Order: sequence, then C-alpha cells, then structure tokens
Amino acid sequence: MIANERRKRLTDAMQESGLDAMLVYGNAWQGDYLRYATDFGILEGQGLAIVRGDGHVTLYVDSALEADRAALDCPGIETVLAPDLTSEVEAALNRMRNQSMGAAPQRLLPRRIAARAGELKITDETSFVDRLLMKKLDSEVAAIRKAAKLADEGYKVFMQAARVGRADYELIAESEAFFRAHGVDDNFQIIGIGGIEVKGMAPPSGKRIQAGDMVTTELTPCVDGYYAQICRTLVVGEPTAEQNGAHALWREAMEAGIATVRDGVTAADIAKAENDVFRRHGMGKYTTSEFTRVRGHGMGLFADSKPHILEDVTTRIDAGMVLIVHPNTYHPAVGYMVLGDAVAVTKTGCEVLTGTPRELFSVAG
Amino acid sequence: MRRGLMGWNAEELPVAAIEARLARLRAAMQGAGLDAFIVYTNNTRPSAVAWLTGFTPYWSDALLLVSKSGAPVFATALSKRVSEWIRTTDPVSEIVNTPQPGKLMGERLAKDKAKRVGVLEYDMLPAGLAHDVETAAPAVEWSDGTAMFAALRREVDEPERKLLAKADAIAVAALREAESGKAKDAGTLAGLIEQSARLAGAEEAYIAVAPDLAADRRLNRTSQPTPLAERFAVRASIAYKGCWVRRSRTFATDSANADAWLDRVADSIEAGKAVAEQVAANVKALPNAKLAKYTVESCTGSYPLSALASAPASGQFLVLTVELTIDGAPWLGARPLIAGSR
Repeated sequence: MIANERRKRLTDAMQESGLDAMLVYGNAWQGDYLRYATDFGILEGQGLAIVRGDGHVTLYVDSALEADRAALDCPGIETVLAPDLTSEVEAALNRMRNQSMGAAPQRLLPRRIAARAGELKITDETSFVDRLLMKKLDSEVAAIRKAAKLADEGYKVFMQAARVGRADYELIAESEAFFRAHGVDDNFQIIGIGGIEVKGMAPPSGKRIQAGDMVTTELTPCVDGYYAQICRTLVVGEPTAEQNGAHALWREAMEAGIATVRDGVTAADIAKAENDVFRRHGMGKYTTSEFTRVRGHGMGLFADSKPHILEDVTTRIDAGMVLIVHPNTYHPAVGYMVLGDAVAVTKTGCEVLTGTPRELFSVAG
Repeated sequence: MRRGLMGWNAEELPVAAIEARLARLRAAMQGAGLDAFIVYTNNTRPSAVAWLTGFTPYWSDALLLVSKSGAPVFATALSKRVSEWIRTTDPVSEIVNTPQPGKLMGERLAKDKAKRVGVLEYDMLPAGLAHDVETAAPAVEWSDGTAMFAALRREVDEPERKLLAKADAIAVAALREAESGKAKDAGTLAGLIEQSARLAGAEEAYIAVAPDLAADRRLNRTSQPTPLAERFAVRASIAYKGCWVRRSRTFATDSANADAWLDRVADSIEAGKAVAEQVAANVKALPNAKLAKYTVESCTGSYPLSALASAPASGQFLVLTVELTIDGAPWLGARPLIAGSR
C-alpha cells in the first residue's frame, strides 16, 4: 500500500538523519506534507501529525467532521479530535521534549508552537521532506500516471462543455461531475476566456463564452492524493492564422523543454530550452515575470510543487521526479495561451504521462 | 482550491456594508486599545478577510492589516499579475504584492508607530509570517484579538443573510439530486450534487456521503462507486461568495417526519439558551426517537464554520446538525438557521 511505503521511507530517512520524530502540518491548501506522513487528505480546518521513529503516527485535527473522515480514510493511524489544536499538540510535544524532532513545513506551523522550537528541540526539516516529496517511489508515479489519464478524459469533458453562451464556472461544473464519478477526489483548475485582454488564468468569474474566444485551462485531477496536470487551449470557432502561429511556437517551446528533461539536468536547463524558443522568435519579453509565473513545476501530493521550472532555479532533476512542462504566457496578438504535458523523469529522458493531442482545439462556434 | 464562481458583486455586498463592518471593527479596536488589527487568510481560513473585504483566496495565503483609518492593506505573495483578479473580489483594500507579506505589514506598523496590535487567532498565525511581522515591528505589543472579533460576528447583517440564503438555496436544490434516482453509487451521486451546486454558482462544494447509514453514520468525501444502500445520508457544505452553509439529509423511505421535525426545531432555536437543552426538549416530540449526537456551528473567526460552545446570540448564524435513532434506525440531518428569528 502506497501510504505504508511512504511512511517506511519517511521513518527510514528520519533514522538516517538522527530524528526521533517529525511534526508535520497541513491544510486544504498546503496538504502534501501531512498527506505524506498520514495519507489524510484534509479538507476543513487544520491538522498536525507526529510521526515517531517506530512508525506510529498521531494525527490531530480541529474539526469533528475531519476526525470522522480521517478515521475512515486512515485506519492505520491514531486520530485525535483536538478543537484547541495548538494546545493539544503542544502538550504532546512537551511530553516528547527530550527527543530530537524535525518539523515540516516550518513556516506554516502555528506561531505558538514554532516559538518554542528551540526549547522543544524542533529543527526545520522542510527541505528533508521536500526531497521525499520530489523524488517519487514507483507506486507514487503509478498513481500520477492514473491521474494523468483522467486529466486527458477530463479535458474531453471540458471541451464538450465549451460552447457559446456558457459561463466559465459551468465548464468546471461539468468537469467536476465527471471527476467525482471516476475516482478523482480533488482538482486544481483555473481558466481563461477571451482574447488579447486575457493576461492569465484565474478561478471562474462568470464570464460567458463568445464566438472566437480562446478558452485556456490548467486541469489537475487528484487520484489517491496525487495530482497530474494538463494545459490546453481551445478556440470557439475556427482558429485564426495568428492563433495557429502562436500555438505552433508554444508547442515548439514545450517540446524543447520536454526534450531536455532527463536525470541530471537542472530546472534551469528545462526553462532555458523553452525560453530560447521564444527568444529565437523575438518573444523573449514574454518569458519574464511580467507575463508568466513559471515554465513548469513539480507535481505529486501538491498540484504545484517544487521544483519550479525557472532559469534561476538550479535544483537538480532526478529520475523519479514528476513535472509539468508548460510554456504558458501572454501573446500580444492572441492573448494568454497555455500548453503543457505531465512527464515522469527517467534516467535517459522522460515518460510523457498525458496523451491529449498537442493541438489548438476548435469547438463549434 | 476554489474553482467555483468567485467575484464581488456590488448588489450582493455593497461597499457601504463592507465599510460598516470595518467601522465596527475599528470601534472594537478603539475599545480594546488597539492601533491596528491583523487577519490571516488562506482557503481553509478565509472567512474573516472575506467578511472585511469580500476577498476569498483560491490559492496561497495573505494578510490583511486594518489600521485606525484608511483603506485596509491586503498583502500577498501572489504575483502582481494576480492583482487584477484580487481586485475583482475585493473593492476596498490597497493590494500589495510582495514576496514577504509579513515583513511589509511589520514595516507599515513600525512606520505608523503602532504600539498595540491585535491579531485574529494569534497562536495559529503561520510561523513564517509571524516571524516576519514581529521582526519588522519589534516595538509592537501583540494581542490576541479572537474574542473581540467573534463578538463582532454574533449578528449577521442583511447582505450576509442574503448571501447565506443563496448558499442554502443552492445546497437544498443540489441535495435533491439524491431523490432523482439517477445515481446508484456514492461517487456518481457526489458528482451530480456538486455539479448542481457549481452550475448554480457555488464558490465551493464539499460533498460527503454515508453510503450505508445503517452500517456507519460517518460521512466522507468520495469519488468511488460504492453502492448506495436503502438508507444513506449526504452532507453538502456549500459556499457562495464567501458565505458557507451545511445541509445534511438522510435518504430513506421513513425520513420525512424527522426532516420536518428538524425544520421545526431549527426554526424554534432561541438566542441566549443552550442549544443542547432546546434540541433535547424537542426530541420528545418525535415518537420513538433518541438523540445520538448534536453539533452547533457558526462563523466566528477565520474558519467558515466551527463548533460553537456558547449559547447563541440573537441574530447569530448557526448550522445545527442532529443525529437520532428512530425506531432503532439511524437518521441525521443538518440545516442552517438564524438564532431567535422565529
């Protein structure tokens, strides 16, 4: 079972690092550290877990609804309903004060607990867990592979829902119904509808599709806690020559990035490969933070995890990492355009996990 | 992450209503001797900032600083490109994009020579932000402002009542999907209910199912094809424009009497009296029913809904959840209400 494999890996790594216990924090936004240690996908409130060297895990949650959910989803761990989360966990930490303990992610720990880190011998071990989160077990990659297949299926549903007059949130509603019926508990998704006025993607605002609009989305279903992302753009009606030209550039950039992915390169190498294509076409300006955030990122128990694919990120890319390569940015003639595929890094290159054609799709106008 | 309809609408939440809320906070600050007030937000803890500005984060986190006067300062590590979107949900704040929101807040406090500053849920402030704020404003005396803020949230104003009513109408309609017989399994049913809620404009929809209530009363998020038994239950936690409600229903051939009973109980909840006693007294009116469990939730801080231990105030928004055993069979239900509204 994937959760047991992860926990064994975590406790083995703790032993190697001389840690007696780990304190991990999570909420519905930043849930990956908590999920790694407990396998609990928290939705409401906040959770803290203490993982002991012998593999015993105590999960503290401050919502009674979440305590019920944790007991159902994670029968192998101890769940404690702690309405006063900070006090309850602080009391547990007081009882462990002679032990060497790490915490992750330290920056999100409740202030009151973090303020006593020195006294309680708690060290910041965020990067320690980050390494485990980034370089995945085979079973983790298999889960992401499943999620990627559902990303492909979900995009078909999204495309079928896109037609003139429909609102952005209605497209997402259709995708979500499909996902809930097909083993997808969660989904990260943002959307953009329109033309040159669209500078990025965001949650739905109620904007309705008009003929000729480009519809962009970043769709990220979650299976067994693991997210896989796909980015595609469609046009409502026939694409213009400028839209087709822009898409060809995006595709060249994405494929240059994917061709660079292999064990031993850096995140910067991948970003540079993508951005060089833009620069060659006189579009280098649109690879900057004024127009785009990242040129891809890691995926796993978090939809947008480390490493960020940027030219100033020197993180080594290792076999076992899973990334999305997406040269998403603004084009002055057509607006914000996206294209991205999920890949699993191998020793010699990468396995592309998403299978949706790399086309600028057209739906009936 | 939030992926439903998000956006501020002046008709639903007039700027005057937001300014009235800010004025109430500032009056409370003055009473407590506070020069400023800091509120944290992320998508698990959005409610206090949503109440003060209209803003709910779909991702990431942020801090809001309310000083004695002037526009609130909203600082986030989200990039400047996201500011345009933030503005569509928050008509009142000065929006600042900075890699270190805590440092910026501390610097503002230091510049304003703030002496005493309240923080909502101070103990729970994320350590990184807390460190940055405190380091940049070393002279400030910090004060937990949780109780002060909760007092402001005791009575909902008219715009909030309407937004809550809209969220509840979405939840009620969405749960009717379970009556249609279209879904035979829990995952499909969850999808249909969520689809209904999102098509109606829900900002968020958390659907939980107990597929065989006779076997297990606990509800859980699901996307699995678990068959639905003759007696099952569904909970829909629905947000509309930052306002959250919960509705739970038991679906069985004999649940109608208990459903109607819950409506009567919810409509009769009085302010100033313990809800436990009021619920227990009403159980006697339902033949062969035994009270298994009840909970009362409200929105008093950054959480959309959390357990309320005290007797409700007049005009306070609540969600009442009751679990009964009736003639040996389990039944559960939940619905929102305004205390003392009868």
